[in-house]
Amino acid sequence: MAENKKVIEVKHVYKTYFMDGGTSQEVLKDINFTITSGEFVAIMGPSGSGKSTMMNILGCLDKPTSGKYILDGYNIDDKDDNELAKIRGKTIGFVFQNFNLMMKRTIADNVSLPLIYQNIGEKERYKRAVEMLKKVGLNGYQNRVPSQISGGMQQRVAIARALINNPAIIFADEPTGNLDSKTSDEIMDLFTELNQQGITIVLVTHEDDVADFATRMIKISDGHKVYDGLRKAYSKEKEIKC
Amino acid sequence: MLRAILKEAWISIASYKLRTFLTMLGIMIGVAAVVMMVSAGQAVQNRITQTFASMGSNLILIGPAELVSGGVRGGRGKPSVTVADVAALKTLKDVETSSYNMGAAVQAVYGSSNYGVSVRGTNPDFLNVNNWEIDDGIMFTDKDVKAAKPYVVIGQTIVDELFGLQNPIGKTLRLKGKPFTVIGTLKAKGDGLMGDDQDNIVIMPSTTLRQRLEGSDRPEFVNIAFVKATSEDKMESVAKRVEYMLRTRHRLKDGVKNDFTVRLMTEMVEKVRSVGFILSALLAAIASISLIVGSIGIMNMMLVSVTERTREIGTRKALGAPNSWIMAQFLAESILISFIGSFIGMVFGVVFSQIGGYIMNYDVPISIWSVIVSVTVAVVVGIVSGLMPALKAMRLNPIDALRYQ
Repeated sequence: MAENKKVIEVKHVYKTYFMDGGTSQEVLKDINFTITSGEFVAIMGPSGSGKSTMMNILGCLDKPTSGKYILDGYNIDDKDDNELAKIRGKTIGFVFQNFNLMMKRTIADNVSLPLIYQNIGEKERYKRAVEMLKKVGLNGYQNRVPSQISGGMQQRVAIARALINNPAIIFADEPTGNLDSKTSDEIMDLFTELNQQGITIVLVTHEDDVADFATRMIKISDGHKVYDGLRKAYSKEKEIKC
Repeated sequence: MLRAILKEAWISIASYKLRTFLTMLGIMIGVAAVVMMVSAGQAVQNRITQTFASMGSNLILIGPAELVSGGVRGGRGKPSVTVADVAALKTLKDVETSSYNMGAAVQAVYGSSNYGVSVRGTNPDFLNVNNWEIDDGIMFTDKDVKAAKPYVVIGQTIVDELFGLQNPIGKTLRLKGKPFTVIGTLKAKGDGLMGDDQDNIVIMPSTTLRQRLEGSDRPEFVNIAFVKATSEDKMESVAKRVEYMLRTRHRLKDGVKNDFTVRLMTEMVEKVRSVGFILSALLAAIASISLIVGSIGIMNMMLVSVTERTREIGTRKALGAPNSWIMAQFLAESILISFIGSFIGMVFGVVFSQIGGYIMNYDVPISIWSVIVSVTVAVVVGIVSGLMPALKAMRLNPIDALRYQ
């Protein structure tokens, strides 16, 4: 495993929202960091700090107003919508707070959804979905529908979906926000396990005990990066505007 | 990729069965209505053509002049063409034969049965001119006409109504209390244009009609005269000669209007056919209003669907769906709905128009046009009504869509 391969490079990223009536709001200000392959990073910050905007940019759902963002070798700022969709499909796995499963479709259909957009045949999709469900501890659940299983299991389905296209990185946006604490721990254990298998994970959360599962922490406050280092070494006093 | 898009679209519409069915119903009713109306229109047009064909082709009809006052048609004038005129017309160039009829509606009695019949006084050429054929027995001759013999030839309706299983040839039936001998029967022709029974007919020599049935106070004018040209392309020239001869015989001076009208059967067929065509086009236009309503139904459902599935769209985009894929999927959903709806509607339309034709004793054609039209309509309606919702889905920003509650 290429431990030192850069998966994410963020250089002088600014994000400004322009409102109707000429006013504008700078949400991200001069953000810089690098994430290498195999890391488990928690992006933290209070609400309104800009961490969701950061996550949208990292997830190629949005583009920076200025600065450079390079994901797995792709320079994001010169790509159009369809190219971004292609990059998302190939290199990113998303895990959302509210799972975002298609409730009327089977679990196998849900897990294999990203493969449709890579023109992979139906049988192959099903086969890979079954394998991926085994990996997240849902062996044999492929033909059920999401409403028949618990919230924790639904999030496992979502994680299986995120993993199915063998992504370079997984983005999880408040993945335990809708789960009770016991189930949250189980999901975070699953993330830890996946990380130990070499998968790069970036987590957005505002909960300290969820962030504790990560090894590295990036804290954003008021649009500035105020901390970037080991999660264990973090203390409020170490925050600086960097 | 197309297969995958169609499958996704199919699963999506199949997961809301009732809603999809109700939306389809609009298109089904619309297409069925259009197919039925077009079939009905065609059936009527075919019936018109058949009826005119059964009345005889190459025919020129001479009737009373039309009364026109101040540009408004005011019905028919007095009959002016006589039996002698008709006999003279027969001598014209390119005329195969000529005939005429004088009509009367009377009650026919045989034994204990009686039936209201339409009596035509004419000459033997009536059969040839009007495409009638003798079924049994014989037709009266010119000699019989001269002698005003009390002979009648009767249509199948009269045979059935008055004689039942008996052979009518040689039997005597009574009209206005006077006896007439049945010497022949006519082959059945079926219903006429307006559903009138063409086989309810008694034909007899015109002289017999005047002298024996009505009394000689009836003038010798005919209701209508027929001139049969030797071929269709001679009809125009024959019509001119007919007009010239009648003007001469009636001693009309230059500048005086004809006291008769000359019409070509072919012209009349064209006229009636064009009316029939306009009628069926109008029916189809009215029926297509329900198609428009149906397509609005699809658009409505698809718009609701896009709103409802905003998060799904956001998720699909986040997971790598290109905009074109999202648009194609929603378009495919509306096309599938309208395609399936149209197909079922077409089947119902064909089946119902056949049933209707059977009940009303009409020969309803199954036209390839209704198939082509309904498939085209399906795709067009699907695209038109699905386009706006699909564009809406395509333009959704994934960030906003994912946040949508």
